Amino acid sequence: MRAIKGVILTCDAAVKQILLSLNERENFMIEDLDDNHMLIKGEHEHWVRRELETELEKNTYSMDGNSAN
Amino acid sequence: MATVPEPDENEILPYQAHTLVTFLAKEPKQTLTRLYQAPSSCLAVFRILTPLERQIIMHLLWMESALPPSSLNAWVVRQHKKIYDEAIATLLKLNILTKPDKLSLNPEFKTNFRLTLTGSGTKGSFGQPLETGSPQDIEYLEGYALEKWESILHFMVSSGGNPISKYPKQLLYRSGLMTNPDLGTPRITSKGFQFLLHPPHMQLWQLLIQFIEMSTEDIVEVLSVILMISTTGLGREYTTQYFTEAQRNVLFQLSDYGLTVMDKKSSPSFTPTRLATTLTSSSPPLESSTTLSSGPKDGFIILETNYRMYAYTDNPLQTSVLNLFVSLKYRFPNLVVGLITRESVKRALNNGISAEQIITYLTTHAHPQMRKNNPLLPVTVQDQIRLWELEKNRLKSDEGYLYTDFSAQTDYELVLKYARELGVVLWENAAKRCFFAQADGHQTIRAYIDRMQASRQRAENEY
Repeated sequence: MRAIKGVILTCDAAVKQILLSLNERENFMIEDLDDNHMLIKGEHEHWVRRELETELEKNTYSMDGNSAN
Repeated sequence: MATVPEPDENEILPYQAHTLVTFLAKEPKQTLTRLYQAPSSCLAVFRILTPLERQIIMHLLWMESALPPSSLNAWVVRQHKKIYDEAIATLLKLNILTKPDKLSLNPEFKTNFRLTLTGSGTKGSFGQPLETGSPQDIEYLEGYALEKWESILHFMVSSGGNPISKYPKQLLYRSGLMTNPDLGTPRITSKGFQFLLHPPHMQLWQLLIQFIEMSTEDIVEVLSVILMISTTGLGREYTTQYFTEAQRNVLFQLSDYGLTVMDKKSSPSFTPTRLATTLTSSSPPLESSTTLSSGPKDGFIILETNYRMYAYTDNPLQTSVLNLFVSLKYRFPNLVVGLITRESVKRALNNGISAEQIITYLTTHAHPQMRKNNPLLPVTVQDQIRLWELEKNRLKSDEGYLYTDFSAQTDYELVLKYARELGVVLWENAAKRCFFAQADGHQTIRAYIDRMQASRQRAENEY
């Protein structure tokens, strides 16, 4: 029996896919639990959140600036 | 004293306890008795009580002996017993009633409240107007109070862009309405934004309670000054000669909040503003204003389905509040135009302001024109603001331990059952025979596993 220390991430399936692709850049995942859960190393949480934010930002269309007219 | 009124929708509505009542109810009995030594404090406290509580006090005020609770109970109709019981409980907590089994007023309160009503007692207990004092310019006083008060609120919303005195500033930081300045530029917090949504009277009292808690002076001195100035009249100058040194300090500090006008600590007189004189009354704290601001009285915001927002205001405070969650585009003498965007809302969310708070603000300050709409705010915009908030919470993380590699199914089940009873299991998978539990349950779970293994060892040794 083993107990592994870490941080569990709970997310939707889409975010999970982004997390998997991030993991290819920097290995932070300890265990892929299921479609909505993932166990990662605690010290990487901040980095993961920041990168995810950047990734999600790429997919949003901003209204600001286009509507000034 | 009459019976509690017959059932009537409006009458049954529970009165919301005054912020100060809630605060006083937590104070020690001795402090309260000392507070009631001043007739003005008795009157001020009486004024913030609910009508029923006042009735009970008036009923007992001129009685020399105690009244058995059963006599008072006889006046109460059964279906309103609860309201009556609550009133008695409040009065006991305020130490106005001393014993639940024998109803009589706290002697200190009784004596001094009688003095109040009969107009006797020592000189200056309600403030002594300055004999040489000339009538003060009320317009000037209103302007002064408004300016001081708005500058504090403005400081909150503009991240300290608008300097104010040292004490109000510290008060905002300590009360958690703004973030700690040691951790970078202070910003308004979620609590602070909630504060802006409250009616002005409540805002004033919230700050004053914080002021009382933070004051280094004796709490009774501080409270009695605040309660005393709440019984003064507007437009008059009062002498400070009957005040103690500590009370004069408090009076001077209150000038930072626009409650009093006082040039310096040693000044022989002070002038209360409307903020002070309406503290324990139901009149609005500033002339003909329900919003405690120099901006428009009614709502001023128009929000369109295309996320455009038009705010008919020239008030810098309101503009700064909007700037917390709206991307402002143009500014005209009486109009500010902005756009609610993902970025502007996200910025607000990151500052701890919730989507619900933004929607409440927009609803409270909606322009009368908007009130014809049902629902009041465009649904698309409301939903989108909520969705942006959800977006922020797409990833949830929890620290803890993954328990895995159990050698037997029974072991797994036993440990999992134990962890479930602790209420720390966040995720489990029977097929993989592993589960994840919060970090704070780890010690207990480990101890349980150790015990389990030890007892198994013993069992094996016995064979």
